[in-house]
Amino acid sequence: MKTKRLILISLLAIGAMLLSACSGGGTVSNNWHGLAADAEHAYVSAGSFVYAVDMKNGSEVWRYPTKADNDILYFANPVLTSDGQLLIGSAGKNHDFISLDPATGKEKWASAFTGAKSGWVASPLIISGKIYAPNTDGFLYILDMSGKQIADPIEIGGALWSAPVTDGEFIYLSSLDHRVSVISLTEDVVSYTFDLGGAIPSSPAIGAHGAYVGYASTIEFVKSNNDHEVVTRAENRIWGSPVLDGETLYFADLDGNVYSFDLASGRQNWSVKPNGSVVASLLVAGDQLYVASEADPSSELGTLVALDREGKTIWTKEVGGKLYTTPAASGDLILVAPYQAEFTLAAYDAEGKQAWTFTPAK
Amino acid sequence: MWEQLIIQPMTNLLLFIYDVLGHGPHMFGLAIILFTIVVRLITWPLNSSQVKSSQAMQEFQNDKEWQDIQKKHAKDKEKLAQEQMRLYKERGINPFASCLPTLIQFPIIIGLYQSIIRALSVMPLDMLKLARTIYPFQNVEGIIPLNSKFLWMNLGSPESVQILGFAVPTLAVIVALTTYVQSKLTMPTSTNPTDQSAQMSSMMSIYMPLMLGWFALTFASGISIYFITSNLLGIIQYAATGRANWSNLLPGGNKKTVAKKK
Repeated sequence: MKTKRLILISLLAIGAMLLSACSGGGTVSNNWHGLAADAEHAYVSAGSFVYAVDMKNGSEVWRYPTKADNDILYFANPVLTSDGQLLIGSAGKNHDFISLDPATGKEKWASAFTGAKSGWVASPLIISGKIYAPNTDGFLYILDMSGKQIADPIEIGGALWSAPVTDGEFIYLSSLDHRVSVISLTEDVVSYTFDLGGAIPSSPAIGAHGAYVGYASTIEFVKSNNDHEVVTRAENRIWGSPVLDGETLYFADLDGNVYSFDLASGRQNWSVKPNGSVVASLLVAGDQLYVASEADPSSELGTLVALDREGKTIWTKEVGGKLYTTPAASGDLILVAPYQAEFTLAAYDAEGKQAWTFTPAK
Repeated sequence: MWEQLIIQPMTNLLLFIYDVLGHGPHMFGLAIILFTIVVRLITWPLNSSQVKSSQAMQEFQNDKEWQDIQKKHAKDKEKLAQEQMRLYKERGINPFASCLPTLIQFPIIIGLYQSIIRALSVMPLDMLKLARTIYPFQNVEGIIPLNSKFLWMNLGSPESVQILGFAVPTLAVIVALTTYVQSKLTMPTSTNPTDQSAQMSSMMSIYMPLMLGWFALTFASGISIYFITSNLLGIIQYAATGRANWSNLLPGGNKKTVAKKK
């Protein structure tokens, strides 16, 4: 009887453990890191902490908060403002949206903004002394630079995972519920909404009189005059934001294809498949195009590839882990934040030589 | 292996049902209910064999010959085990047949939980995994993102209702209650005071409601919908055999039945 009881309790315990291991408690699972940089520091949001890392040597300058809190999770790209703030919101049970001093990591606002009903995955947009912060509750919150709500939130609908972008007249905001909303900056109201027929996980790229949106396997141009049209298509799903450089639009798909599209002629310049699947947005820095490949098809490790403007591979560097975060540039260095790697951040020079790596101390 | 054999088929079946239902508000909750019914139908023969096996085991415990053997070889465990196996063979009883459906439930529960969390995609990484999980024939663009609302619940979060300022976990209570009712109904009556299977069943009827109630309290409410539906179907299935022991639901019900039988 005792043995049977022991077996029964063990089975129940194993079941409980297996189920518990599925997720951290129901609502929030894990996600890839957020990344931003200025000339002095790189800022990485990696779950429980936001880290500031010295660009000179990869050492930790500060971390926020100083002690981990299970209810707080940071995954959004932190945003630096021109008046010296670093803005980020928590995607955990705690939905606080905060402002930090980029130099010290100390809180800058008297109190955090706590008015959102859900977590923060997207970065905010700062324009004309206002913070436009999209939340996963489907609302775009409007705050002043001290974190006070200055207008009713704009209801967009669906979970908002991507940062708004602006051409100075309108804000373009994509939503998971298939829609792109065009918001008038002067009135803070939605002027137009377009249902593109597929979930849009990334931000549009601002163009002339509109924005380029990547979703499903399509690049669509949403115009500021209440119109939209398909620009081109990819072979697989487009996850990251398209990048516009002059008249050339760069984007990548989950098959690992990288595309260069000439907007003036309406024709594709080239497409190459330099490595594995691409989830992150591409980074244009100097003469090079940086591709964060999720995982090399043979080694299954995240790989950074530098291409020239003709799509020719200049160098390929195995980083480790998986690369989902869009690389960032600071000075001569390119920063990558691999997911589930031995280190949280790595810096490479333009020749692909690793300058340093950053692993948070425990 | 787990991904290909459990998570992918389960997630796709769930999403297929959701898509057929028209993927509007409340439809994912309905999809979980229908999914549970499908799983129950698939495991119906297994559950039936469990019921029969439990009954055979129960009858065996009350068997006069087995009770005599127990008394005769009370001090010789080895001989007792040999005689038990001989009687099992003679009466065509498989002592492990009653455990199999319970064991099968575990991968289903774990798989369902992972499927629900993946399907609801609360973070970009979940959605990326979801996009890669969906079979090519499915209407990916129409399905994503899923509407996680069902009645008053968000299926991706643990459920509670505010009553007089307190967060009352109503689903966890219903899960514990239906699990208790199901285990009590299927609990056999025993005339044998040393009956191990009856003691085991009695223990299960306490542990299982507590454990599943705790799951419901802690995890996404979608899993609670599965537990409740599954429990109700289990009760209906057992009641349909005409052997449901309703008196067990009352305090001391089991003892009364035993006394009456004596």
